[in-house]
Amino acid sequence: MLRMSLLATLAFSLCQTTAQAQMSHHQHASEAACEEVELRCASKVTPAFASDGTLWLAWMAGGRISVASSKDLGRSVSTPVQVTQEKLNLDWGPDARPQIVVEKTGGIALAFSIFRDKAFNGQVLATRSIDGGQSFAELQPITANNESLRFAALGLDADGSVFAAWIDKRNRVPAKQEGKKYEGAGVFFASSKDGGASYAEARLASDNTCECCRLGLAFAGPGRPVVVFRNIFEGGVRDHAVMTFTDPATPGEVRRVSNDDWQISACPHHGPSLSISPAGTYHVAWYTSGKARKGLFYARSDDEGRTFSDPLPLGRSDRNPTRPYVLTGPHGTTMVWKEFDGEKTAVNAMISHDEGRSWSKPVTIASTTDTSDHPLLVSDGQATYLSWMTKADGYRLLPIGDGS
Amino acid sequence: MKRLLAAIFLFASLAAAPAAETSSELKPFVRGSWQEMLRSHKGRPTLVHFWGVTCGPCKIELPLLGQFMKDHSELDVVMISADLVPNLPGAARAMLEKAGLGTAENWLFSDGFVERLRFEIDPAWQGEIPRTLLIAGDGTVTTIEGSAEIPDLEKWLVQQKVAAR
Repeated sequence: MLRMSLLATLAFSLCQTTAQAQMSHHQHASEAACEEVELRCASKVTPAFASDGTLWLAWMAGGRISVASSKDLGRSVSTPVQVTQEKLNLDWGPDARPQIVVEKTGGIALAFSIFRDKAFNGQVLATRSIDGGQSFAELQPITANNESLRFAALGLDADGSVFAAWIDKRNRVPAKQEGKKYEGAGVFFASSKDGGASYAEARLASDNTCECCRLGLAFAGPGRPVVVFRNIFEGGVRDHAVMTFTDPATPGEVRRVSNDDWQISACPHHGPSLSISPAGTYHVAWYTSGKARKGLFYARSDDEGRTFSDPLPLGRSDRNPTRPYVLTGPHGTTMVWKEFDGEKTAVNAMISHDEGRSWSKPVTIASTTDTSDHPLLVSDGQATYLSWMTKADGYRLLPIGDGS
Repeated sequence: MKRLLAAIFLFASLAAAPAAETSSELKPFVRGSWQEMLRSHKGRPTLVHFWGVTCGPCKIELPLLGQFMKDHSELDVVMISADLVPNLPGAARAMLEKAGLGTAENWLFSDGFVERLRFEIDPAWQGEIPRTLLIAGDGTVTTIEGSAEIPDLEKWLVQQKVAAR
């Protein structure tokens, strides 16, 4: 851990000088460093490793989604390919980001959301590349219904099919017609058997969930997707729930992750993270500001979400811990989140080697002095990496831990 | 970049406009603005409301707050547009005016490093809106997460008047 943290610091200090010199003279309201389509201008970057160890990145910059790959863990990146020629009104919500899945065959499935009108109603668009990311098919709505969709999550199932889940407000239409109140949005899902070129008819997993938070998606085994989402429980309580699908077409029951008792008629824009270990342990990290607890928390489940461990608080409460992410890799489970000390945003990490029962002491592995994307984790099957886009210091891929 | 510069220029020209034309002035909320705002209202009961044009509950609450302000001219009302998405001056101004809040003290988040802005206000706040801070004359802060109930605001205001006697 220490060695890696030193590495991370070194990488940052090397890059900071030039980046900061460029940035210092124009402090403005943008969350991106520049307005062009290059990676350095991105506000959101999503990573995925191919089975051959190639790192693929999909990012939002200059109103476009771009894709590029790296054979050397992000040190150099291939010429980016823009998914569309025209500029899009991309969903800029804090939890919105392009989704990328790389199949074993090399196919690439993408999905992302745009705002389709001035009322911020969203649409999820999907596309696919079959030529190693050199070109992408014409964008297709992920579902025919166009009411308002956001926050798609993509996952690659063991049989090579792509599972998609998203937040969908279609059910507010019949509710309105009947004069009924409709709260939140539904979690909808669909599968693609052709690598993300087309998706089966969308179906409802759970209605009246929180409409503004990212979903956590993982697999409990082949054909068994699991989704974690901020639900709206009775009384407008926006606590987290987990659902294990019986198969990719059959939703399971809604199980509560934690009783935080956060009753709020507002959008937290702060969704959960989920990872499932080969042993079947569910790892969930989330944010709440409930009556029972406030801050970032982690819990684990050994019985497919029927019961969870007591929530473990993450980070220093006086440093505004945010954006937790958890991932089970080849050498244990890693968790990262952001903290802010009034000047710098730091990414802190900790590792568990016993399925989340105990954790190492948190260590700061990276920091930045301007705005930044959520910290993400990604694994190439050998190591776990922090993937982090920052306005001042650009994109970073940093190895975490050494498996010891 | 050009668009952003234009936006900055817009803020600058608004700030320089004569008082008579500032009914829907949007002050850029940047580093230090929070303390500046607190200083300028020191000793007076102040309602500070964080809202945003993309926030559903805000659309319902804003006109109620507009009426509350009209009913209580003795109260300082500060509205801060703190959307989690890029804050849009045109849309914010239109919504404030429609809600009868064009003459309130209006601010708009104008720094891309929103974590720092929020930290200056309240290190525990992660940006959920709507959010109301009721600041008493003695500086005591009451925070209301989510939509505020007008009767609660009325009650608080009565307490302030009692305390001031």
